[in-house]
Amino acid sequence: MLQKTSPEIGGMGHSVKRKEDLRFIQGKGTYVDDVSLPGMVYGHMVRSPYAHARITGIRSEEAKKLPGVLAVITGQDLEKAGLAWMPTLFHDKQMVLATGKVLFQSQEVAFVVAEDRYTAADAAELVEVDYDDLPVLVDPHRALDADAPILREDRAEKSNHIFHWEVGDRAATEGVFQTAPVKAELNAFFPRCHPAPLETCGCVADYNPATTKLTVWETSQAPHAHRTLFALVAGLQEQNIRIIAPDIGGGFGNKVPIYPGYVCAVVASLQLGRPVKWIESRSENLQSTGFARDYHMKAEIAADQDGKVKALRVKTLADHGAFNAAAQPSKFPAGLFSICTGSYDFSEAFCEVDGVYTNKAPGGIAYRCSFRVTEAAYLIERAMDVLARELKMDPVELRLKNFVPPEKFPYLCPLGWNYDSGNYKAAMDVALEKIGYYELRKEQEEKRGKGELMGIGVSSFTEVVGAGPSHTFDICGIKMFDSCEIRVHPTGKAIARMGVKSQGQGHETTFAQIVAQELGIPVADISVEEGDTDTAPYGLGTYASRSTPTAGAATAMAARKIRDKARKLAAHLLEASEEDLEWEPGKFFVKGAPSKSKSIQEIAFAAYTNFPAGLEPGLEAVHYYDPPNLTFPFGTYICVLDIDKGTGEPKVRRFVAVDDCGNIINPMIVEGQIHGGLTEGLAIAFMQEIAYDESGNVQGGTFMDYLVPTAVETPTWETGKTCTPSPHHPFGAKGVGESPNVGSPAAFVNAVVDALSHLGVKHIDMPISPWKIWKILKEKGIAE
Amino acid sequence: MAIKIEKTFQVQEPLESVWAVISDPRKVANCLPGAQITETVDDRTFKGVIKVQVGPSVTDYKGQVHVERLDNEQHEIELIGKGQDIRGKGSASMKMTGKVRSLPDGNTEVASIAEVNVVGLLAQMGGRMIQEVSNQMFAQFTANFTARLQQERTSSGDPAASRAGAEDAKPIQAVPVLLTAARESVAWTFHIVLVLVLAVAIGVSIRRIFKCSDQP
Amino acid sequence: MATKKRVRVKVNGSDHETEIEPRLLLVHFIREVLTLTGTHVGCDTTNCGACTVLLDGRAVKSCTIFAVQADGCEIRTIEGVATNGKLHPLQEGFKEEHGLQCGFCTPGMIMSACALLEKNPHPSEQDIRWGISGNMCRCTGYQNIVKAVQYAANKMA
Repeated sequence: MLQKTSPEIGGMGHSVKRKEDLRFIQGKGTYVDDVSLPGMVYGHMVRSPYAHARITGIRSEEAKKLPGVLAVITGQDLEKAGLAWMPTLFHDKQMVLATGKVLFQSQEVAFVVAEDRYTAADAAELVEVDYDDLPVLVDPHRALDADAPILREDRAEKSNHIFHWEVGDRAATEGVFQTAPVKAELNAFFPRCHPAPLETCGCVADYNPATTKLTVWETSQAPHAHRTLFALVAGLQEQNIRIIAPDIGGGFGNKVPIYPGYVCAVVASLQLGRPVKWIESRSENLQSTGFARDYHMKAEIAADQDGKVKALRVKTLADHGAFNAAAQPSKFPAGLFSICTGSYDFSEAFCEVDGVYTNKAPGGIAYRCSFRVTEAAYLIERAMDVLARELKMDPVELRLKNFVPPEKFPYLCPLGWNYDSGNYKAAMDVALEKIGYYELRKEQEEKRGKGELMGIGVSSFTEVVGAGPSHTFDICGIKMFDSCEIRVHPTGKAIARMGVKSQGQGHETTFAQIVAQELGIPVADISVEEGDTDTAPYGLGTYASRSTPTAGAATAMAARKIRDKARKLAAHLLEASEEDLEWEPGKFFVKGAPSKSKSIQEIAFAAYTNFPAGLEPGLEAVHYYDPPNLTFPFGTYICVLDIDKGTGEPKVRRFVAVDDCGNIINPMIVEGQIHGGLTEGLAIAFMQEIAYDESGNVQGGTFMDYLVPTAVETPTWETGKTCTPSPHHPFGAKGVGESPNVGSPAAFVNAVVDALSHLGVKHIDMPISPWKIWKILKEKGIAE
Repeated sequence: MAIKIEKTFQVQEPLESVWAVISDPRKVANCLPGAQITETVDDRTFKGVIKVQVGPSVTDYKGQVHVERLDNEQHEIELIGKGQDIRGKGSASMKMTGKVRSLPDGNTEVASIAEVNVVGLLAQMGGRMIQEVSNQMFAQFTANFTARLQQERTSSGDPAASRAGAEDAKPIQAVPVLLTAARESVAWTFHIVLVLVLAVAIGVSIRRIFKCSDQP
Repeated sequence: MATKKRVRVKVNGSDHETEIEPRLLLVHFIREVLTLTGTHVGCDTTNCGACTVLLDGRAVKSCTIFAVQADGCEIRTIEGVATNGKLHPLQEGFKEEHGLQCGFCTPGMIMSACALLEKNPHPSEQDIRWGISGNMCRCTGYQNIVKAVQYAANKMA
């Protein structure tokens, strides 16, 4: 049971205003591009305009002649150092700089270093590259055709097939399908999109030859993992590498991988002995860095007459681009996609995924989706609506009928996940009430009679986050634990460092709140630091909603170790036995004699000045937390929209998001996360796609075409919550950052399809632009 | 990215005059500012270069045109053209069908349909730019071509005048285009259209050569 | 390289005079020559607004202006918004209403809001949304940013 703390202490549940804001509102944050070191020079990447071509020559004489140019590094140069290729995060390798051929438009071909960024850009224009173009493969469905061009000459197996993965019982599922009276089928594409954080990726690589220490300021969500990988791949001594992830302007998964630009900057710095800054442009970011999704999915549900679901069968084609640079746990080629049975009680299920190479940017990363959970949630939530339509049942009724009931938890789903807790009906009820669902259905009936198009879309998603237990999860072999180190100073103030790295999630506040909750030290007296691998304990970083489930747990455990020691000190100070002491946030007191107490501040002072014989001085602890399980946040989102018959534009009228992330540290911050994630979901559903034409040219490679919603397009979000604490987490929290991006696309798409279902529309693929809708209206003869 | 460009233009000159100019590939190339034929590979294959200036930046492209098919009966010609930025920033390839015919009023009409495939930065900006700029480019070519024909007609027989008309073409200047696309992409559009136009011009010239040889 | 040009600008109340290349963008001039790194670069097609500053009182995207065009002008950046160490109501509002998460869009957002409130001291929610529509945010969904601007409008009224 969590003890309540005062607002001054600011423990769990308090909407403490953020401590990190002070520097950001004054423009005094330190983002990587703000770093300026003496003697610093700039790198600029030369990139391929072709999606698939052989490089027959590279000439850099003209570029090198430009005054101020210090180096032009090519793939051939890197090859000599064994660095032309580097391992990806997922059992593959990728070219740092192209050797032999290029495999996607915007692929890195050469790295120019000059005294200032303008000269570097000028020089990049002067590098001459000869290409012989090759046939391009952009349709993943063609990747395994007999006449498909083979993209990866470096692989022993000459095929574009990367992996086949399956889970569940194929035969048993087959059996159910054969006899099931009702079947629903859905083919759904989740388009390639991109996290597009407002700050692009970049680094300042600073090798100091006098100390042989390499310091890299890097936009990294996982600085320790990067450090270890740099050590292994570049053959540098890990204790001489320091990665500093300073303030990061948004990550959303985009800043998890190691990009060629980082490696080139490090190589250049090693070569020149000077700091080298590389900051990519937005176009480079959209066209070459970690994309997300690009899943071609098929779902089939077998159900009985009254809508009880029996079995789920899923087949997916995963487009990974030119290299499998997916950032996900090593045993999961399709991430956690097998959560696709969602919130529903299926008796059998089978899921298979095939990954293929195409001439597109490599990936995919986990864009605010905990490793493919967005794809899975989208698929099942759309499929349930298709089934509801099939059965002529209300989509809410169908869901209520099939939710895993609370008494069945912990629940083992047919695809192997052990859901620790859940109460799906509770979240649904709150959402239905908040939006006035049944009144809306009546309104829709009336509007339909008048020929108006109104849609209601429901999504009751379940996520699986917080990777993860060491028995199953690792990235490149490194297990996915996380850590926290806390030190309490003599004057009762504290500093805490963890192995995760905030890119806007507010850790400087929320993690201080965890310590405040456990030790009763006011939030204002606790300083939180992350991102410097020289000082922070080892962790796997922030993505996949894992910070609170892993590092948050580590923080609580470290604080509890401190509290255990504090008890000993208190017993010594109060001349009582430890068993006779009781704790309330901020102090120990003698049972039955509350005035005989010692505050945590007094105890901290005593740790340095008055400790019992045999007890180690000081007051600090470190904890590495190996989570026993993942956590399962869930929720119900309901979207109401109206479609303009003249323009096809879908206007979101209301959106209610009810989330259950267990016990909440800071409600204000959770709400902010929901707002942000819903806005990303809106963009994905209606406006965004990184598409490729038949020659492999990127469409949607700048913000002119890759649309980000502004304040005008974004509706007002309404949020609510239920609380089903995670039974295995030290303070019952689950993590929440990704829920809104996971749950919302289906809510939007379900709403649009719902608005048009009476016209016979069964499904529309994202992004659902007004043009797509208008074409349907025209076809059905009702466009105005 | 595949784009279809259809262009038809009329010249107020009789067929014979048009043939007389078009029969000299160098004269036709001169109507394309910044363009030159650098090599005759064989009687059906020609190599050329085009220098394009957009603002202060000057870029060089090299291209090749090959006559795929020549139909004297239908007065049709099919060309395959391919061009590349010499520094490797992108390319374009084109398949073009051209038809030349005499009009009832004595004028000559040239009609062409080209399928252009663009690779590189320009293709990212989209077909919406290419169409616009190619319209402007084509207008410039036809103006130059018509002017050249008039000049030939008025100065026919006067070698000095002919020489005066054949001055070195300066690189083409940037056409004001109200878009925020990178200057590279504008340069690229010029390139594609010029390859196209060069191909049309060369094609028409070849057509004339063949037609001449058919005449008794 | 082109010959350098002399520019004189007043930035956050202080005069600066220096020689620069004519093609130097105003945002780079601010960030690298004046070392005021609060103004950020978020895109390369003038879409995101992270580079917004006030040029003679108008909110402009400094990535699409050459520094030489600002010769003789007054520029105000995020660093010049607080007065004598006291936060501007907009800065307070962003903190009180949780109007920022990663903070990258915040300086540009505050500058746009400054210009908005200067022109329209009592904006409606729609006015605010339109007023900041030139500034992208990927983290907040704008809802709390609107509240932050309303907080400031009320405080300044």
